[in-house]
Amino acid sequence: MPSTGREKATWGVINVVVILAALIPVLWIISLSFKDPSTIADGNFFPSKWSTENYSGIFQTSEFTDALRNSIGIALITTVIAVTVACMAAYAIARLNFPGKVLILTAALAVAMFPPISIVGPLFNIWREVGLYDTWPGLIIPYLSFSLPLAIYTLSAFFREIPWELEQAAQVDGATPFQAFRKVIVPLAAPGVFTTAILVFIFAWNDFLFAISLTSTNAARTVPAALSAFPGESQFTQPIGSVAAAAVIVTVPIIIMVLIFQRRIVAGLTAGAVKG
Amino acid sequence: MTRRRGVVATTLAVLAAGLVVAGCGGGGNKGAADLNFYIFPEPSGSFEKAAKACSQQSNGRYTITVNTLPSDADGQRQQLVRRLSAHDSSIDIIGMDVTWTAEFATAGWIKPWTGARAAQVTQGTLPVPIKTASYKGRLWGAPANSNTQLLWYRKDLVKTPPKTWAQMLAMAAALNKQGKPHLIEVQGRQYEGLTVWFNSLNASAGGSIIGPRGNVTLGPPAVQAATIMKTLASGPAADPGLSQAQEDQGRLAFEKGGAAFEVNYPFVWPSAQANAPKIFKNMGFAPWPSVDPGKPARVTIGGINFGVGGYTKHPAEAFAAASCLRNTANQKLYALKGGLPPTLNALYDDPSLAKPYPFKDLIRQQLNSASVRPQSAAYADISLAISKGLTPPDAINPKTIVSSLSDQIKKAQDSGALL
Amino acid sequence: MSTTTAGRVTTTQPKRKKISDRAKAERRLGWLLCAPAVIVMLLVAGYPILNAFVLSLQRADLRFPDANKFIGFDNYGTVLSSSLWWQDVFHTLIITGISVAIELVLGMLLALVMHRAIFGRGAVRTSILIPYGIVTVVAAFSWRYAWSLDSGWIPGLLGINTDPLTQTGWSYVAVIITEVWKTTPFMALLLLAGLALVPDELHEAAKVDGASAWQRFWRITVPLIKPAILVALLFRTLDAFRIFDSVFILTAGQNNTETVSILGYNQLLNRLNLGLGSTVSVLIFVMVVIIAFIFVKGFGTSLAQQRGET
Repeated sequence: MPSTGREKATWGVINVVVILAALIPVLWIISLSFKDPSTIADGNFFPSKWSTENYSGIFQTSEFTDALRNSIGIALITTVIAVTVACMAAYAIARLNFPGKVLILTAALAVAMFPPISIVGPLFNIWREVGLYDTWPGLIIPYLSFSLPLAIYTLSAFFREIPWELEQAAQVDGATPFQAFRKVIVPLAAPGVFTTAILVFIFAWNDFLFAISLTSTNAARTVPAALSAFPGESQFTQPIGSVAAAAVIVTVPIIIMVLIFQRRIVAGLTAGAVKG
Repeated sequence: MTRRRGVVATTLAVLAAGLVVAGCGGGGNKGAADLNFYIFPEPSGSFEKAAKACSQQSNGRYTITVNTLPSDADGQRQQLVRRLSAHDSSIDIIGMDVTWTAEFATAGWIKPWTGARAAQVTQGTLPVPIKTASYKGRLWGAPANSNTQLLWYRKDLVKTPPKTWAQMLAMAAALNKQGKPHLIEVQGRQYEGLTVWFNSLNASAGGSIIGPRGNVTLGPPAVQAATIMKTLASGPAADPGLSQAQEDQGRLAFEKGGAAFEVNYPFVWPSAQANAPKIFKNMGFAPWPSVDPGKPARVTIGGINFGVGGYTKHPAEAFAAASCLRNTANQKLYALKGGLPPTLNALYDDPSLAKPYPFKDLIRQQLNSASVRPQSAAYADISLAISKGLTPPDAINPKTIVSSLSDQIKKAQDSGALL
Repeated sequence: MSTTTAGRVTTTQPKRKKISDRAKAERRLGWLLCAPAVIVMLLVAGYPILNAFVLSLQRADLRFPDANKFIGFDNYGTVLSSSLWWQDVFHTLIITGISVAIELVLGMLLALVMHRAIFGRGAVRTSILIPYGIVTVVAAFSWRYAWSLDSGWIPGLLGINTDPLTQTGWSYVAVIITEVWKTTPFMALLLLAGLALVPDELHEAAKVDGASAWQRFWRITVPLIKPAILVALLFRTLDAFRIFDSVFILTAGQNNTETVSILGYNQLLNRLNLGLGSTVSVLIFVMVVIIAFIFVKGFGTSLAQQRGET
């Protein structure tokens, strides 16, 4: 169907509106972060006086740098463990035949729908008794259990698409089982594993409720929790600039990652949801 | 692949554990006890200075590290109670808000001061600050600094400061008619500051909130207090942002020049001097307005008492260090550098305080007649019940306020209500 | 969370009927491989919810350690007779209902744009992933500063002179916009995947028969992607019902915007009243189960269809 100029213009307008709507809050926080502290409350959308003072400011104390270290460490460890454990489970679900499979999937689904507030109290209570309160493992453990369902579903959807017969074919052709696995299956499975890793990382990076409930100091507090504690950190300065700068720093890597791997993320997000 | 991932995971987990351990262990150098002092962030750094001085004076008995808490009292309490309920032994000395005494003592989170230790930190100390550190006949903290609100006003707008709230409201209305700055800056957000405002008004009208046996004692004075709050909030004197106003918003609004009056702590004085010299030129101070003419106000006392953590590994050193941190020299330091009013009576006669503290006599006078917020282990809940019951201030119904507040406070007392 | 319906469990099982030893080994391997995941999920979700139930039957307040005792269902009586609980349920339902409704409409429009656009599809899809990837707390801060009278651009744009986030109505608008902005992309992607299943021929045929675009949408597209719509609705409803981050940052529950999650958080972690807090937690859990049950029961057939079990 040939498109007319008018149609093209209409679509152009629609596209611009959508893209703007998606970007405005991001542009706004970036703009805030570059405003000079003296003009931070001027209410203009764009900075009238540019400055990087907000950025240098947050790196002067350990408040933000420690939180950044905690966020990166906790999210990475969660991702590695969750993906490993989920790979095993998803492989079994996709390839092996054993009773209880449906039960496991149902249980995972139930956990995915779980309201985190329902377990945050008991976790706090248990953690304070066993000494996990305000530690890395204290956050990694709940993150694992909440990201596992996501990881298992995504991975098993990907694994089901893998033509496993290729592995046997390679073995027939003389490859050892390990070679067959490494040369044939790993390259096929890698994209799915990678996508899952990104989704789990985003989940752990994003969490707020567990972070503010189960940590209280720089020892384990992650960036979202630290951000909420920024306001009024020093009595006489408005923390808007520091929050904005810290927010941009934790947002940019995610945005870059999302942009680079967007196709996979879309596939991962909708995997298993709708067959097609 | 799975196996390799497993190895990576283990390595990372070990690494993480290492980091955690490194983060927790303070490293104990033999001899000197490492003491962690938790205190609100005081921008001038006077606590750090005092900690250094005390560590030196201890001759190697202890070293004090200052750890800052969040800046708002709620955030400070949240962090401390969560960690203390987890029996955190790294909390040695705590800068406790005056309202936490009963709660921390009941839960066993702090150690009592007894005998000679108690005598040392109460000698020469103003009586009301000592009262805030006492609960059920024992002393639970060393009064370190105190605080009280004053009335700040614009001398270019009003010649003589108002003596009562009624006068102040009338002046504000008159200024409004003349088209001049007329706002009264008070704390109207639903938080501790709103409870403080109510408590001061209620006590000034001769009332109390909780009696000696834990019974709720709100009565006609509470109606007077609620009426004043409602009148202010629904009249021309109210700042448009009243329902979100905390101390700092009040300070900013006054410095911007839109307000004629401000009820606030003394930190606004040096702040205006630095940030708004034009306003400062005409900035006056006066006693907190009274409710009944001729009866001086009984303003809510604030401040910090130093407590010793209930799970500390070095109690003796912690008590010694806490005493040192609030001795005359250090209280003077806090007052001069950080603007924190002392609890030691003699310091109010010190001439060096007169320059930065032209209102020091007024503060001592108000401290001596100050009112203490309810001393209850459930204070945080009681305060929440009060501030919730008075939010938003312009919707207060003075007719029903006594019964509705009493009801909520009773429920809060035995922790048997949602809040 | 993107996990959705239980995927089909039909898999390639080439050697299924060989020796029973082999089947046994396979079975054992399957269990072995799933064990770690199941154990973690059970330990960290299953045990605490039981623990929450046990705590909810006690007077358990860490501030009064000597007064802990078993009190049966008293806490439930306290919560269910408290007007605060019902107010907060109401606030949560309002936020959930309005946001999910808006998200459905916007998400559908977005999906149609991405499905039908004659150019720029990639750019649109890329840009809508940004709200998904951004940390909720960051998004909430951005919106909070945008709405704030002191620093923001929205009050000026709308000509408001008082701080919008101090007023109930505007607070809801802000919370809902934040929620919609953050989660519409997820809705849109799920719907887009559904749209991909609608065969073009059907549309072409209907077009030939003279059906308008509007008719084609309602008569062809909607019925065919109904399962995708329901799945998206279920997940977003459950997700919105536990809303915490954005409300916490935007209003902290002030101006009558307190949600049930914030209520639970306050009881548990600010008051350390584990008994009452756990009661709230258990009740939230029950409500989530009820919502899920209504969806599954009400639209059970569609969900089964969705899973390819027609």
